[in-house]
Amino acid sequence: MAFSMFLRTSACRSSAFNQQMMCFATQSMAKERTIASTLPIKNLVIPRANSTPILNSVRSFRTSPPRLSAGKANDHSKLWVVEKITSAALIPLVPLGLLIPNKLFDSALAILITAHSFWGLEAIVVDYVRASIFGPVIPKIAIGLVYLVSIATLGGLFYLISHDIGLANTFRQLWAIKSDGNKA
Amino acid sequence: MPLLRLTSGSFGQLRTFATSSALGKRVKTFAVYRWNPDEPDKKPYTQNYQVDLDDCAPMVLDALLKIKNEMDPTLTFRRSCREGVCGSCAMNIDGVNTLACISHIDQNLSKPSKIYPLPHMYVVKDLVPDLTNFYNQYRSIEPWLQRDKEAVKGKETQLLQDVEDRAKLDGLYECVLCACCSTSCPSYWWNGDKYLGPAVLMQAYRWIIDSRDDATAKRLSKLKDTYSVYRCHTIMNCTRTCPKGLNPGRAIAQIKTLLSGIVKKQAPIMDPAGLDKQTAQN
Repeated sequence: MAFSMFLRTSACRSSAFNQQMMCFATQSMAKERTIASTLPIKNLVIPRANSTPILNSVRSFRTSPPRLSAGKANDHSKLWVVEKITSAALIPLVPLGLLIPNKLFDSALAILITAHSFWGLEAIVVDYVRASIFGPVIPKIAIGLVYLVSIATLGGLFYLISHDIGLANTFRQLWAIKSDGNKA
Repeated sequence: MPLLRLTSGSFGQLRTFATSSALGKRVKTFAVYRWNPDEPDKKPYTQNYQVDLDDCAPMVLDALLKIKNEMDPTLTFRRSCREGVCGSCAMNIDGVNTLACISHIDQNLSKPSKIYPLPHMYVVKDLVPDLTNFYNQYRSIEPWLQRDKEAVKGKETQLLQDVEDRAKLDGLYECVLCACCSTSCPSYWWNGDKYLGPAVLMQAYRWIIDSRDDATAKRLSKLKDTYSVYRCHTIMNCTRTCPKGLNPGRAIAQIKTLLSGIVKKQAPIMDPAGLDKQTAQN
């Protein structure tokens, strides 16, 4: 009720005054964005060229559903299944790999751990390093860094497996060092 | 009759006792978020109001109405049904998104009750959030029954639905779209422009599993991109905050399993167009 009253009164005023007022409203919004968790109005300000100017501040009404996901037709559903299978597979594979150290388990662990952490890091970057906050460039750099870190991790783990004692044995060595220290 | 008179008398006494000044006034402070679009230079602030709880009905909305009627008519908020069926008075009360009309006033007088608009939404004025994006997202899931063969006007027949199929809609249709869950979801705060949010997704699920709806495949294919559904990280704030006790988190999980193809929508137990076919035969 109060909202519709607000809309009606503002619609009655001249559009020029409205735009001026909204202009001020956005300015204060830009300043307060960092401070207040609840943000003052901005959506009403978006100029709508197709609507009549006097009704600029009234929400334009359509009956056809808007396409919110336009231009991003990629299918994430299969990837979601792979992500879940990876997480589930890690549960038995981690203790198994540590119990029976061999190259096969080590390689599987290396791939799955890297994939699992890659998707986790990617989600963090997508959620926190957003274009709406950091601009258009930094999010892309951040995603690039995630790829870089993941590739480096995978390379490092496989170096351990092929040129050194393997993943499981490396972890076992952590305990071995401690017991050596106790003896000495 | 004498018994009734007796009881009414004692109740009357009880009431005078409870509201007597001998007990001292029970004054509660309400700290209310204020922001006026007509004063754009003024930053948002909280304004304190003192309300005597003995002279006020028990819900937070009652206190707000009392403030608006008796102290400050400029205080702006949405309300309508005052009994939790319209979802207008959704706001953040003491840090929890809920409906003001069905949440009791905290009786602890030493602490002020903090009342804010729904978090991370643009504010129109005071406690009124701008829900344009939320409603647009709701419209995007086409929240109505869709049949392959639309009924001819004037010749509509009832669609049949088994009791068991109908039971699947329980816990979904009760949603009043108050936006408490969506605005409590960190994922919706972060990516509210592309992620649909728990309230809208629960309604999407409500239409996906409706046994009478034929557009299931179309509805699902609209949701399979990276953002619409998959930004849900099962934080479950939605289920925790829902003032109607619904579980949007579960509905989103069901959408994910349906999207993966692991679970398929069951065929309707009763043919929805059964009546239509029967009349065609006769």
